[in-house]
Amino acid sequence: MLAGLLRFGFTVQILFTSALASGQGAPPAAHEDEAFDFMNLLSHHRLHNLDDERWNLYGQFTYISSWKMPFQAPYTNANGSINSLVPDRERSFSGTFTVFFGLKLWQGGEAYFVPEVISERGLSQIRGIGGSIQNFELQKTGSETPQLYRSRLFLRQTFGLGGAPVVKTSNPMQLGTVVDSRRLVLTLGNFTVLDIFDRNNVTWDPRQTFFNMSFMTYSSWDFAADARGYSWGGAVELYWDDWALRFGRMAPPEHPNVLPLDLRIWKYYSDALEIEHNHVLFGLPGAVRILGYRNHEVTGRFDDAIAAYRADPSKNALACTSYNYGSGNFTAPDLCWVRKPNQKLGIGINVEQFVAQNIGVFFRGMYSDGNTEVDAFNPADRSLNFGAVAKGTLWQRPFDVAGVGMSMSWISKIHADYLAMGGVDGFVGDGHLRQGAEGVFELFYSFNLFKAIWLAGDYQFLWNPGFNLDRGPVNIIGAKIHAEF
Amino acid sequence: MLSSRRHWALAFTAILCAATTRAAPAQQPAQGFAVERLYLSAPGAGWFVMDALDMHGGLGGNLSMTLGYASNPLHLSDGTQRLAVVAHQAVMDIGAAVTYDRWRLYINLAAPLTIRGATGTFGDYSFTGPNVSLASHPDALSDARVGVDVRIFGGPKSRFRLGAGAQLFIPNGNRADYDTDDTYRGMGRVLFAGDEGLFSYAGQLGVHIRALDDSPTPGSPLGSELLFGVAAGAKLPVSRSLAVVLGPEIFGVTAFRSFFTSSGTSLEGLLTGRLEGTGDTGAQLRIKLGVGTGINRQFGAPDWRVVLAFEVFTYNQKT
Repeated sequence: MLAGLLRFGFTVQILFTSALASGQGAPPAAHEDEAFDFMNLLSHHRLHNLDDERWNLYGQFTYISSWKMPFQAPYTNANGSINSLVPDRERSFSGTFTVFFGLKLWQGGEAYFVPEVISERGLSQIRGIGGSIQNFELQKTGSETPQLYRSRLFLRQTFGLGGAPVVKTSNPMQLGTVVDSRRLVLTLGNFTVLDIFDRNNVTWDPRQTFFNMSFMTYSSWDFAADARGYSWGGAVELYWDDWALRFGRMAPPEHPNVLPLDLRIWKYYSDALEIEHNHVLFGLPGAVRILGYRNHEVTGRFDDAIAAYRADPSKNALACTSYNYGSGNFTAPDLCWVRKPNQKLGIGINVEQFVAQNIGVFFRGMYSDGNTEVDAFNPADRSLNFGAVAKGTLWQRPFDVAGVGMSMSWISKIHADYLAMGGVDGFVGDGHLRQGAEGVFELFYSFNLFKAIWLAGDYQFLWNPGFNLDRGPVNIIGAKIHAEF
Repeated sequence: MLSSRRHWALAFTAILCAATTRAAPAQQPAQGFAVERLYLSAPGAGWFVMDALDMHGGLGGNLSMTLGYASNPLHLSDGTQRLAVVAHQAVMDIGAAVTYDRWRLYINLAAPLTIRGATGTFGDYSFTGPNVSLASHPDALSDARVGVDVRIFGGPKSRFRLGAGAQLFIPNGNRADYDTDDTYRGMGRVLFAGDEGLFSYAGQLGVHIRALDDSPTPGSPLGSELLFGVAAGAKLPVSRSLAVVLGPEIFGVTAFRSFFTSSGTSLEGLLTGRLEGTGDTGAQLRIKLGVGTGINRQFGAPDWRVVLAFEVFTYNQKT
């Protein structure tokens, strides 16, 4: 009976996650025989063995356009600050083209190389929104001129420790193979921490589901990354049947939110520890993950910046002589005066559960200490998101995807005090603040064509942008074309 | 009267000074360009620069990773002044190719690991040495290359094989990092190769269409160039399915507008050895090592160079 339930649950999960290419930290998923892609084409011509791959090659293209409607704001960039979301009508876009190479080196050893081209334009230069930026691709610094870069280059070594055989289907960043349900997996190189941690089989690949960045991971997880969301480091994962334990250490940026990294990983780092349990509830699969992180990075504490300014008002944002965000507010404190090695701590929970065939719900919540500035991701100190995603099997369009979700993020009291004094943190800081929770409600539908192309429409209702009760709400309409091959 | 004479004397002196004293020339900044001259052959092509032209069978593929280091690839010297604008250059190149019958289609992406050099002046030009590292440029890729090769004459193991190849360089990177011209570049090459017993050889003659002409900046590109090179070696079987190929490769370029002059020509020699699978079908491995030096030191030809490559290649039977 239990075996039957497990089989059914596993089948549901496979059906749900099939044919979705990995963009950000996607888990291994079943390969959809019906999908059109290069590897399937070779396999159908008996030129490639998808079950025991020596190599694979996948690609994706995604273009997202967002239109922001005008909104109410009593002030914008007050007192020389620079980080407000502009209240006028604006359009933003991103285009990415990615190729995923995988190569088997030896028994259990795999190498992956992922070059990517990006072109983008953010709303208000990606300023003024805290944890809920309307397009997840905009975490990757870029310009309107397409730029080629290496997003990932890493080695993965799997050591089998026994247990039942687990089929790993061919996918981007996953060679088709069979592994033990008990195994140790080492990953070393250049990747995003989201390739390993905080997986979620419901929200899964943002290129297929929600547009908003807040659904990609915990908004308040300030994971180490360069300005494009990637870093160098290592991770070790222990899988033991239904359980998984993960630990990783990644290099932080040289300064907050910049591309260069500080590779002295023994000195400055971001550690993450996650425990995962996969379960079957009423015959349907689900998972619970608890993640804790600790950053030891050169950052500024909000209380230090406020104290420094109060003790000596010449230590204001305009007068910064070291790395800063360029605020022109000479009446505001700034983190540039107080950066030193500091710690940031946070803990979060990620729950996913399928409630019917091809319908899943999810919840994520995280609490971070909120004492220090954002170093790599976004400035939220506490966050939660939840929602539901369904594939179109119910209405005879199995490749279509629909979803609805809500996400909220908060900042700490001292963080709010700092922003209220006119300070800037990363890309938020209106020059003034009436503290509130930033939130977004999102609804999308993704329509499949030819089993390889998806056209998606999206609506987002965003309130209190930049954690500021004085600003918004904002209506954002989005459209996406996504192709996998 | 005396005052008037002094006046004239001062005026004369001033005119003399103005006529004989040249104004100190303003230093013009050099812009940077793609300094790499090791134009790697396509993934799976055998040699480091030359092409063995041994494509065969049905649909096959190659993946390659090449790690290279060059010492002083851009070193300016006129006997009195010296400036190592690019003193250290390490690059990792990753390539993939698809082969079918006598055709090969490929792409290469090169990631600079380090490009470092000195800042200073040379003649009337000021140079800013690049400072590229994995930390400062954690995800950098320089010019991407796509290409196609075809064997026109001869079989995959014949004594004489003749082919042709074309490549397009898609600009990416930053001129100041000396890893791109920031313009599209193209290459067209006539290729030849052959095997006779234990002897193996290959060569090329081609044109590098390069829009960048930064003359008279010292050590800089002078526009389009002629490509040339030969390689020869002994192919020694070490087992039924493995062979070692040992031999030199000599290759260079010369700018058309400074044809085969010392200042417009770079020439480099590379002593290479490779261990490779020799089967006609199935997945095989090739490991290559090359050590070399610049023979004529126009830009890109280093004091010394070491190159290490790993290739996995598969040929399948034609169906």
